[in-house]
Amino acid sequence: MDKKISTMPGRGIRRAGMRQPGGERVTDHPGGDDSPVTSESGDGTEPDARYTFANERTFLAWSRTSLALVVGGLAIAQLLPPFPGIPWGRHLIGTPLILLGCAVSVISYLEWKASQRALRHGQPLPRSRLPQILAIAIAVIGLIAAALALLSAVGVP
Amino acid sequence: MEYADPGLARERTELAWTRTAVSFAALGAAILKYRPLIGLPVLVLSAVVWRLGRLPVPARAGRTRDRRPLLITMTTVGVSLVALALSFLGPGIAPLR
Repeated sequence: MDKKISTMPGRGIRRAGMRQPGGERVTDHPGGDDSPVTSESGDGTEPDARYTFANERTFLAWSRTSLALVVGGLAIAQLLPPFPGIPWGRHLIGTPLILLGCAVSVISYLEWKASQRALRHGQPLPRSRLPQILAIAIAVIGLIAAALALLSAVGVP
Repeated sequence: MEYADPGLARERTELAWTRTAVSFAALGAAILKYRPLIGLPVLVLSAVVWRLGRLPVPARAGRTRDRRPLLITMTTVGVSLVALALSFLGPGIAPLR
């Protein structure tokens, strides 16, 4: 069976039989031309299962990232010995990490949903904002940690 | 309805679910050390997540309507709020042990 790898619309062969009742556009989903079109009004068509699986895996990978952030934040808050002179310092690192984990989890769900919608409608996938968010947040938390380590070494007045 | 044999894609996805379940277990174990009463349910949760990954989703209903990602997200948010509370309560409060 000949498979198209493109997710862009308008690349495939259009056939009269593919027109959906009540829908104007014909989606050329990547599953091939002979695949049946499920008619779900206004909700596009079921994409190739492999894309759905890949989208699901991406979501799960971000979920693991968020869980790791939560575990890290909890471990820092509970297991790290307190900074000398700055007893609340651990929470200054741990709490942002846990909140970041929370945010990554929610955003990854929203992005999974948006990607799935794009796949159903044969549109290009939306760009993920998570790498940027994660990089900036981790950089900021790292700076906070460095500042705390320095302050406790110098000795807070 | 699956148009092509997803083959290894399905397997890779099941493995991804397994890794996610292991992550939940790690969080559960981290909590278990100081608060068995809270850590244990999280460990049980990891078994539930593992099972979710193996659930045969009725294909025709559409994986797009899959509720599992929402479930995972809500669980993660809930667990992280618990972790946040624990991080402030500290490891030594008897009633919650």
